[in-house]
Amino acid sequence: MDAAKKPDLHLYDVEAASFAVGGRTILPPLTMALEPGRFYGLVGPNGSGKSTLLKLLARQQEPAAGSIRFSGRPLDSYGTRDFARCVAYMPQFTPPAEGMNVRELAGLGRFPWHGALGRFSAEDEDKVTRALAQTSLTALAERMVDSLSGGERQRAWLAMMLAQDTRCLLLDEPTSALDLAHQVEILALVRKLSHKQGLTIVAVLHDINMAASFCDELIALRDGRIVARGAPELILEPTVLDSIYGLPMGITRHPQTGAPISYVL
Amino acid sequence: MARRIPLPILLWSGLGLFACALFGRKLAVQWSGLQSGEVVDLDRVILVYGLLPRAAVALLAGAALGLSGLLLQRILRNPLAEPSTLGISAGAQLALGLATLYVPSIVERSSTAVAFAGGLVAVALILALTWRRGLEPVSVVLAGMMVALTANAAGAALILANGDYLFSLFIWGGGSLVQQGWDPAIAIGWRLALGLGAAVLLMRPLAILGLDDVAARGLGLSLNASRFLLIALAVWLAATVVAEVGIIGFVGLAAPVLATLSGARSLKQKLVAAPLIGAVLLWLTDGLVQLAAGAGGERVPTGAATALLGGPLLLWLLPRLRLFEWPSLDRPAHTPKRVARPWLRIAVLGAAGIVTLAIALLLGRGLQGWSLASDGEMLADLVAWRLPRVIVAATCGGMLAAAGVVIQRVTSNPLASPEVLGIGAGAGAGLAAVLLFAGSAGLGWQLAGSSTGALVTLTVILVIAARGNLGPERLLFAGIAMNALCSAVLAAVVALGNAQSYRLLGWLTGSTIQATFLEASVAAIGLVLITVPLLVAARWLAILPLGAGTALSVGLSVRLARNTLILIAAFASALAAQFVGPLSFAGLIAPHLARMMGLDRTRPQLAGAVILGALLMMVSDWLSRMLFFPYQLPVGLFASLLGGVYLTLLLGRGVERRG
Repeated sequence: MDAAKKPDLHLYDVEAASFAVGGRTILPPLTMALEPGRFYGLVGPNGSGKSTLLKLLARQQEPAAGSIRFSGRPLDSYGTRDFARCVAYMPQFTPPAEGMNVRELAGLGRFPWHGALGRFSAEDEDKVTRALAQTSLTALAERMVDSLSGGERQRAWLAMMLAQDTRCLLLDEPTSALDLAHQVEILALVRKLSHKQGLTIVAVLHDINMAASFCDELIALRDGRIVARGAPELILEPTVLDSIYGLPMGITRHPQTGAPISYVL
Repeated sequence: MARRIPLPILLWSGLGLFACALFGRKLAVQWSGLQSGEVVDLDRVILVYGLLPRAAVALLAGAALGLSGLLLQRILRNPLAEPSTLGISAGAQLALGLATLYVPSIVERSSTAVAFAGGLVAVALILALTWRRGLEPVSVVLAGMMVALTANAAGAALILANGDYLFSLFIWGGGSLVQQGWDPAIAIGWRLALGLGAAVLLMRPLAILGLDDVAARGLGLSLNASRFLLIALAVWLAATVVAEVGIIGFVGLAAPVLATLSGARSLKQKLVAAPLIGAVLLWLTDGLVQLAAGAGGERVPTGAATALLGGPLLLWLLPRLRLFEWPSLDRPAHTPKRVARPWLRIAVLGAAGIVTLAIALLLGRGLQGWSLASDGEMLADLVAWRLPRVIVAATCGGMLAAAGVVIQRVTSNPLASPEVLGIGAGAGAGLAAVLLFAGSAGLGWQLAGSSTGALVTLTVILVIAARGNLGPERLLFAGIAMNALCSAVLAAVVALGNAQSYRLLGWLTGSTIQATFLEASVAAIGLVLITVPLLVAARWLAILPLGAGTALSVGLSVRLARNTLILIAAFASALAAQFVGPLSFAGLIAPHLARMMGLDRTRPQLAGAVILGALLMMVSDWLSRMLFFPYQLPVGLFASLLGGVYLTLLLGRGVERRG
């Protein structure tokens, strides 16, 4: 909460961080700052480096050059479990969690707190129960994960991240495998969590209209560079969209809310 | 602009020229002897009946294997299919061994027919096993490996039972190309010509068979008739090679793959390229074997050498190979229902284990028929004999099961196990190395050797898997390559034909006959040392199947956890392989059984699998003592037969896979 009052204290400071594989640059040096308590959407065409940037933030990959700081400390100064108490990350393809029920999956989120050998304490139990309640999974807690529908399974993974009790959630295309109703359900849930509990959320999202209607701020990448950044109304402009997607696009208004909606010309 | 010759053709021509040069060198040596005129006759004989036919056999056998592999890969739509991965070669060889022992007259009349029959039985078995899975590649190759390993073990048991008489058969089984005349070359030659002709005639059905079943049927092809015809053709070619020169692995696998990688796209191009590449590969290998042999005579059969060269080649190819997407892989697995009170079930299992132990100790078959050792004196006598081997069998089963649970969870691959990934064979290669350098090495050194071998194998496989981002199928492929590689090392050492060879042969069949109390206590301590840390590290085992990304994001240091677990699994497999040989399959089966019993959380699964593995091996041990009394079968051979039956059920039910 303190951080929110001081706008100059950033949650993430990315300074000229770049990423390369086998000499091929995937992400040219990139600089940006993220503030706490906001819901960021990373948008852009395929291969624009969205997922790579998210993985750098999640410390899943190390930048080839440059630095990334979280709460003012360089990422590599955190221990593995230390960092996992601050930031939770959901990969794009969640594996099939065989032989696990929902409560057990959520319980794995407590690993950074109790470690490999520590006791699963009453507090751990509490956090898991709360995470299940937040994701409306209490009734499904004993169901096996692989028997769930796509939307429920995604909520179960979200419950695991919430049980991790971090300040920041990083989501790589959390809605890519879901139908429209479940996309709305997940994004609305994420937005609620962000606004109610002050969680910082960075999500890679494919659908620009969906991102615009749920995120506080959009960061648009193209070829690994930030080509636009700002509130959804500022991004959903024909010229801006053209610079992101290289495609002539138009804007119309939502008949009820008046929010901008993009379409391909 | 002048048309440039494509690079692959240049490459293959270059390799062909190199093989040519190796042959030329050999020839020149022989020729100079011929010129000097002293012992003209002998040198001429060697040239005409030794060197020239040998080159011809290498070229023809290589081409035949290349063609056979191409046909099989095409028909089964399976890039892993070839005579040796499908167990055709092993089946053919076992048939030859059996026939040589019991009906030698048939072998004399037509050894090819015997080999053909053996190969057909192997293929029929595999097709029957995997038919209901729609001949899905991974199942087919797994079944093939099971058939091949079992046939090899049965062959080794035959040799052990019949001593020197069959030992030469084994050496020849390694695929030596040494020739004493033109008969084999002619035999392979005309069959190859016939096979090529038939393949050209059947080119259209073959092309359509490369599509999926629905499309092929839509084009009006009688699917099964043409499929069986072509398979029989491929088996016939491979069986001929086995009958004439023995098992030569990898050529049939590598030639079609290399043809594709070299740019042969159409079926017609492949029909030309695969046999040619196969011929060059085998000729080159044989040339290198002769070059390495020097004056001391050849110790490495060419068939083993192809595996030595082909194994690394395959591992290199893996990430570059495109595998078919098989629709059946995406089918959701049937999830067994979780049991409400897992520890109660484990207690029941444990009780069953104790009862089995008691039966294994007490109930036996003697000269007077079945007897229960009830009075004290007789019991004490029998227990002294039976207890060590029963304990060795049980603890090894438990260790393999524990290793299986770890490997399946670390790789998130339900088909992985110490046996399938070649870790058992790796332990054998390590053991072979120790025995080779110090024939009288004690148990400690042998263990050190086999552990090192197992660890190296597992590490190599996992490094390759991590590099190439291998899915379950490719990991299995890497395992097959390692299996073949280590088996080649073993075959080479066994082919030395000295005391160590017999020791290794005994090891290959997995015999507990000579187990002592010392070994029993080592194995028992090993089981405890392995299981306890795993039970403690259960959280690692729960998180790792979710993938490195998830594991890292919940703060698990993936590398530390993985390496520790792998070390434990390698040690467990090596220790178990030391006593019961490389092929028990308890490591594959026990974790599955535990899961199917509804034990799916980490600790219950681990505990259940350990008990089930022990049970499995105790039953195998008991059956191997009783079934053919007064003879005893090696327990490893028996366990692998049990494993085969189980795998049949598993594949038939389609419980197995998950993409």
